[in-house]
Amino acid sequence: MRYLDKSIEEINKLLKDKKIKPIDLVNEAFDSIEKNSDLNAYITLNKEEAIKRAKELEDKEVDNLLFGLPIAVKDNMVTEGLRTTAASAILKDFVPIYDATVVEKIKEANMIIVGKTNMDEFAMGSSSRTSYFGAPKNPWNNEKISGGSSGGSATTVASGDVPFALGSDTGGSIRQPSSYCGLVGMKPTYGTVSRWGLIAFASSLDQIGPMTKNVLNNALLLNVISGHDSKDLTSSKKEKEDYTRLIGKDISGMKVAVPNYFMSDIVSKEVKEKIEETLEILKKNKVQVDYVDMKYLDNAVNLYQIIAMGEASSNLARFDGIRYGSSIEDASSIYEMYTKTRAKYFGEEVKRRIMVGSYLLSGENAKIYYNKALSIRDDIKKEFDRLFSDYDFVIGPTTVTTAYNLDDPMDDPSKSFMDDVLVIPVNMAGLPGLNIPVGLSKEKMPIGMHIIGNRFEEAKMYQLAAFLEKEINFEGGK
Amino acid sequence: MSKYIPTIGIEVHVELKTNTKIFSNSINGYGRMANSLTNVIDLGYPGTLPTLNEEVINLGIKAATVLNCKIRREMTFDRKNYFYPDNPKNFQITQNLTPIGYDGYVEIDDNGTKKKIYIEEMHIEEDTCKSTHRKDKTLLDFNRAGVPLIEIVTKPCISTPEEAKLYLEKLKELLFYTDVSDCKMEEGSMRADANISLRKNESDPFGTKVEIKNIGSISNVKLSLEKEMARQEKMLDNNESFKEQTRRFDSKLNDTVLMRVKETGNDYRYFPEPDIPTVIVTDEMIESVKKTIPMLPDERREKYLELGMSEINSKKLVQNRDLSDYINELLEEKIDFQQAANLLLGDISEYLNKTEKTIEETTLTKERFIDLVNNISNKTLSSKNLKDILSKVMEEESSIEEIIKSSNISNITDTDKIEKIVNEIIEANPESVSDYKNGHDRAIKYLMGQVMKETKGGVNPSIAMSILKDKLDN
Amino acid sequence: MKEKLTREEVLHVADLARIDVTEEEIEKYQVELKQLLNDIEKVNDVEGYDDDMMVAPWDDNTTLREDVPGEMLDPKKVVENAPKHTGNYIAVPVVITENESEGA
Repeated sequence: MRYLDKSIEEINKLLKDKKIKPIDLVNEAFDSIEKNSDLNAYITLNKEEAIKRAKELEDKEVDNLLFGLPIAVKDNMVTEGLRTTAASAILKDFVPIYDATVVEKIKEANMIIVGKTNMDEFAMGSSSRTSYFGAPKNPWNNEKISGGSSGGSATTVASGDVPFALGSDTGGSIRQPSSYCGLVGMKPTYGTVSRWGLIAFASSLDQIGPMTKNVLNNALLLNVISGHDSKDLTSSKKEKEDYTRLIGKDISGMKVAVPNYFMSDIVSKEVKEKIEETLEILKKNKVQVDYVDMKYLDNAVNLYQIIAMGEASSNLARFDGIRYGSSIEDASSIYEMYTKTRAKYFGEEVKRRIMVGSYLLSGENAKIYYNKALSIRDDIKKEFDRLFSDYDFVIGPTTVTTAYNLDDPMDDPSKSFMDDVLVIPVNMAGLPGLNIPVGLSKEKMPIGMHIIGNRFEEAKMYQLAAFLEKEINFEGGK
Repeated sequence: MSKYIPTIGIEVHVELKTNTKIFSNSINGYGRMANSLTNVIDLGYPGTLPTLNEEVINLGIKAATVLNCKIRREMTFDRKNYFYPDNPKNFQITQNLTPIGYDGYVEIDDNGTKKKIYIEEMHIEEDTCKSTHRKDKTLLDFNRAGVPLIEIVTKPCISTPEEAKLYLEKLKELLFYTDVSDCKMEEGSMRADANISLRKNESDPFGTKVEIKNIGSISNVKLSLEKEMARQEKMLDNNESFKEQTRRFDSKLNDTVLMRVKETGNDYRYFPEPDIPTVIVTDEMIESVKKTIPMLPDERREKYLELGMSEINSKKLVQNRDLSDYINELLEEKIDFQQAANLLLGDISEYLNKTEKTIEETTLTKERFIDLVNNISNKTLSSKNLKDILSKVMEEESSIEEIIKSSNISNITDTDKIEKIVNEIIEANPESVSDYKNGHDRAIKYLMGQVMKETKGGVNPSIAMSILKDKLDN
Repeated sequence: MKEKLTREEVLHVADLARIDVTEEEIEKYQVELKQLLNDIEKVNDVEGYDDDMMVAPWDDNTTLREDVPGEMLDPKKVVENAPKHTGNYIAVPVVITENESEGA
């Protein structure tokens, strides 16, 4: 058995007792990454630096549970001196000159970055197939997508390369690939994790979060990356907390709301049945489960399209070939420099979204669409507030189906949005959402349950998730 | 009088006098090595986010206060999206919907007639980077990118180019005196755009608007508006129509030149800036800013007149803020203020200009200045003598009395003493006296020279001269 | 509901977005962009919501930064990542005339 397959406490004890060194873990990680290279989980590996770092750590005190452990970072978080591409040709040779706050934090915790993971270009997509570097594959079935946009992070954790990965979630991009790959994936409350150094897709929706095989590891990583950051004005000033503190505590008496829309015909029969089974487990354990009506859930995708594409059209305007990034040679005018650079180096999905976003904000459209979207967005939040005044959680499936085939057609521009129909409302309201694997389909593909908590109630979500993890004993877990 | 009524509006950008930029902590500075005052935020690097400089909000509150604006208590920012190489993120963070100040006014005095120039709004935004255009390329220096600006927009309520000039002078004075900006048009820390349209009657709708961009000085604002009025009048007289357009003032041609005809209007795709949460302006913030506002120029001028300075001295003193601040600390003293103003605006200014010093950099403490003024008021010191000892007064620490003594120029203003000396000189030079009486005017100069020689220049020359004349003519 | 944007509409948004489009792409975008816009059009059927807007799920109001200078980049580092530079300056193709400068 590899050391990396042991529990985090066991590994920590081995390190403390000097039975193993961080380099042993790094070597195991790279052995696995190299063996799984056909899964295309990574855009850039950080092997040399990781080995160097592991050796430096040999002289350091083992000061926390995550000390010396390898971690993969989604390639939209900037790493000083380590290429960061956001899976786009426009940044294919871009070497950042500063570290994202999350990167600083995992370095401070003496974790070791093994590489930058594959993703949809600028996190726009739901299957990681919009990556300039080709799509990552699902370790459960190599014909299938691992989801997106944090597909590479999901692939590398699910295949056992590393116990930890960071993802980012704008409209489900942590939870949906976690669901497709059988992982625990948390999108924390907006403002919990600093966005400084996260290449923005949609600023009001983006949030970084942990992807792991089990609940404890997930909570431990959130402990490391959360906390106020004065470099991000949207970062919450809430005091730091221990997200593991409720794990293992009794869940009886908790109340769960299941919006009827989440269990409607948009969800496949197989997924729905698995979720119903899981709800039965909860009921047996004295959790109250009520089916409820909730307004505006069916509008969330359209709001997301307006807000995310509008913000993205502005956020991605800076990629113009002037200060950094790819640029066409010998432009005859500044206009040509812009239009040809952006035409050549942005992919199809990105271009489509930037154009639609520009349209939505232009002239009178800002009033017709954008302001309206912000109004309904506020009402979605109010609907959640209403439910959370009576319930501890809002629950449903994370995805409508299990992971689909890599060669499924990509010609429907609406498809990538509809894949995330169940997870998008959470980003609209800034709430925390978590995927916990609850079983497998007939095809042996993971099915995930989506636990939505009230703002800043991640610890309670981990409490419920840990209970289910124990009850179900999901075979990909540990 | 022209048969057309002009309607003029002015937009002014001023750079704020802060230590750091609006959304980053790099230095807000001018005239430094290219791209030496930047960080990843100013360059619009991927993953960067804005923070908001406290001092920018304070200066915004201050400007709003002295421009009599209402202050917005809950503000957000907006993104103005346009592609331009001087715009690093290709959007500018500004305040489109919730400007920090609105509904204000500035009072001007047009030859004795007071008029309020109404301010529509004033908002905070970031400056662009500086472009230098070469033949084959454009060079970008991001030192200016992210320097804080406020843009102040008047209502279309200015009626003449002269009023426009007076408004700008007043605005500049207010913002300079409150340390909101150093308002140097030549360095671009104050920039003005003017727009003007003409119509025949007050009841007519506004005529076609022409904007004149980036005018380099206040006098050129007036001049360009006059030129533009004349140009439009001629066209209207000839029934020529013209489109809304942007022009610039060419100081070599001494006229406005077309830059571009306005197309369908720029599509800036404004939307709320999601990276900057609501900014709350509290009562405490406003109160503590108000405490930092010094006596304003209008009040200073009134005060100076009250204290006996001439109108011209009062005006000139306010134009020199260092000297005005200097004398403001003496307002309670019992001195001859007209004399004090003469001294400050005359010999002392000349000395300061020559030595390129500020008055605070000299040894002229408030106490020594009071002594100096009094010595002049009581005629102990003549203006000629002052010139001789001025550098000592400004550079040495010893008392004014000591300097006068040691310079051996105890200025004889005692008329009895002077009379005695004059009598002696007349007696000793009978030839010159008779030459004078025979109409040789040069003779009196010789006699005066003898008086000066006798006193080693220590006599007050105008007193001596008048006594000498008296004696000779009688 | 019409199924295609006009050529002009596509060219307009491509211009706003500063993305060059080929003839083939124009035709493709006429259909694809329209499909997305048809999705989005559905927000106009939503009823019952109030006027309050939510720009972002901010937890706090803005905390202002003290006006104290921090670290800055070496000019050499500034130009290092730029595709084109001249000395300490970042260079771009000539911007038509000085008069065109939109400024702030």
